Amino acid sequence: METDPRLALDLAGIKMRNPLIAASGCYGFGFDYLPWVDPRDWGAIALKGMTLKPRAGNPPPRLAETPSGLLNAIGLQNPGIDYFLEAIRPRLGELGCPVIANIAGESVEEYRELAAILDRVAEVSAVEINISCPNVRRGGISFGQDPATVEKLVGAVRRVYRGPLIVKLSLEAGDIAAVARAAESGGADILSLINTLKGMVIDVHSRRPLLGNITGGLSGPAIRPVAVRAVWEVAGAVSLPLIGMGGIASAEDALQFILAGAAAVAVGTANFVHPHVAREICRGLQRYLDEQGMGHYSELIGAARG
Amino acid sequence: MERKAEIAHRCLLLDKSEIARGWHLFELEAPLLACAEPGQFVHLRTGCSSDPLLRRPISIHYADAAAGRIRLLVQVSGRGTALLARSSPGEELDLLGPFGRGFPFLDEAAPALFVAGGIGMAPLFFAAAQRQRAGLPFEFILGGRSSAFLPPEEYFLDHGFAPLTATEDGSRGLRGLATALLEKRLAEANRPGRIHACGPMPMLTRVVELARAAGVPLHLSLESRMACGVGACLGCAVPVKVQGNIEYRRVCRDGPVFDGEAVCIGN
Ligand SMILES: Cc1cc2nc3c(=O)[nH]c(=O)nc-3n(C[C@H](O)[C@H](O)[C@H](O)COP(=O)(O)OP(=O)(O)OC[C@H]3O[C@@H](n4cnc5c(N)ncnc54)[C@H](O)[C@@H]3O)c2cc1C
Ligand SMILES: Cc1cc2nc3c(=O)[nH]c(=O)nc-3n(C[C@H](O)[C@H](O)[C@H](O)COP(=O)(O)O)c2cc1C
Ligand code: FES
Repeated sequence: METDPRLALDLAGIKMRNPLIAASGCYGFGFDYLPWVDPRDWGAIALKGMTLKPRAGNPPPRLAETPSGLLNAIGLQNPGIDYFLEAIRPRLGELGCPVIANIAGESVEEYRELAAILDRVAEVSAVEINISCPNVRRGGISFGQDPATVEKLVGAVRRVYRGPLIVKLSLEAGDIAAVARAAESGGADILSLINTLKGMVIDVHSRRPLLGNITGGLSGPAIRPVAVRAVWEVAGAVSLPLIGMGGIASAEDALQFILAGAAAVAVGTANFVHPHVAREICRGLQRYLDEQGMGHYSELIGAARG
Repeated sequence: MERKAEIAHRCLLLDKSEIARGWHLFELEAPLLACAEPGQFVHLRTGCSSDPLLRRPISIHYADAAAGRIRLLVQVSGRGTALLARSSPGEELDLLGPFGRGFPFLDEAAPALFVAGGIGMAPLFFAAAQRQRAGLPFEFILGGRSSAFLPPEEYFLDHGFAPLTATEDGSRGLRGLATALLEKRLAEANRPGRIHACGPMPMLTRVVELARAAGVPLHLSLESRMACGVGACLGCAVPVKVQGNIEYRRVCRDGPVFDGEAVCIGN
């Protein structure tokens, strides 16, 4: 798709053709859609969450469809940072768009170590720290809930990573605004939200939880109003740029997040239904700008806040 | 950069008929999908709203490259497939694909044996039809609940072959399971060169045991719940044996057809 200067942005140092990001965990390491979808349709691609050591992931079933939603319990299956450096990093240039590495750890030390390694990886434009994955027992969500811990964690990563640092928030934290402020004081450059919401489905025939992991993370249109509300709240609490996500499937959905205060938006689950969703949302945003006679989409950021 | 392949296809539904109880045969105009290989699948939407949200994986049941047409055979088993069964000729279906790795060695000279349980016959029929056209030897074992729940014998004869059938109630062929036919067949002296199987898990478990005992190479088409269908979400993972270790592989991208030795079925 043609680059439209009205959609281009510099997101705290990430130079993006448009404000759309492929959400972590929904786009592999960027290559799975390559035979069919031009990765340059995206402003940036967030890679599958990575850990220091390889992780096998959770036992199947890992997916359950819910009304307008998807419950997943992948369990951060990933080949580990060494494999990433050896086998994936050399290919990232093929994507032709900025790449965001998403990391998860079980201790502050693990996050710090991962970030220090990625600081030396030129192919990675930004690091997103996932403090909110609902599908791993240790780490993940427990980090995301307590403001003091979040500030300490973000501070530790900040000291070793010089590029744009994104902190991904969860709504499982009782007070998401407090956690957002903690991430800001810790030294985050950008906040992204929301991660999936913890849920479960029970199979009434087997009388057992449907997912192998018992619980999973809910994504898709079902969580969109909750996610818009979260962006609205966090935009009022911090001055950092936000990446909004949760159920975005159309330009109108993306606009809701932007109007609530997001500078960029990420799209996850909708890729599974519409692989050309990035291109379509960009076209929709262009049409909206045409209709409104606007020079740049950024005029819309937070515009609903009055 | 130009993308090499199309992923999304809007395909005209030319014809639809119920060829067995609850089994709907869809004939689609799909020139770009008609080059698909047996064992590959399409990922299709069952409605146009966000509920049901996800696409459904359905095997390519037959492809006629010259006519630019494909067939799907869909068994109603839940909400999405019930919605599909309500579509009518003249409508367009929204498909992604073709995805996955199909049955290997379909062009080898050694005789092949196909073992199908119920709707598992959908992809195997395509594989058998391909060997039939190429004049390569094969046998087809088909198991089902009852004759009414299987396509009529003419359906197979139209493509030049007659399956060896077993039904649980004895209404067609042997009374019993497809695996009983397989066991009998493998007891004979002239063993097939290779077995390809698709069907419910209990059947596959028995097929794995029998093929291993007979020392015949086996390929299985597996099912799993899917989201993306292209390998990006890791949602469809199944455990497989890789050099003595158990690792997860994606049914959508690494399969759906797996080596019988690698799958974690049986012992
Ligand atoms: C590679 C592959 C090829 C297939 N080929 C065929 C075919 O040719 N003909 C046919 O009739 N069926 C086929 N299936 C099974 C078919 O995908 C399911 O029957 C269908 O997804 C059920 O959807 P539903 O909405 O009717 O059921 P629901 O139970 O309402 O579905 C709920 C969710 O579970 C998933 N699901 C339920 N059962 C299955 C299953 N058996 N396999 C995978 N996902 C499931 C659905 O996709 C959906 O996400 C195939 C499955 C796979 C993995
Ligand atoms: C299958 C799947 C895997 C995911 N894996 C990760 C992950 O590894 N790291 C992460 O930060 N978020 C992960 N997420 C969350 C998404 O990035 C996103 O926050 C969430 O799905 C909401 O957006 P959506 O409704 O557009 O999908 C995953 C989501 C899905 C559906
Ligand atoms: S369905 Fe997404 S990886 Fe297979």
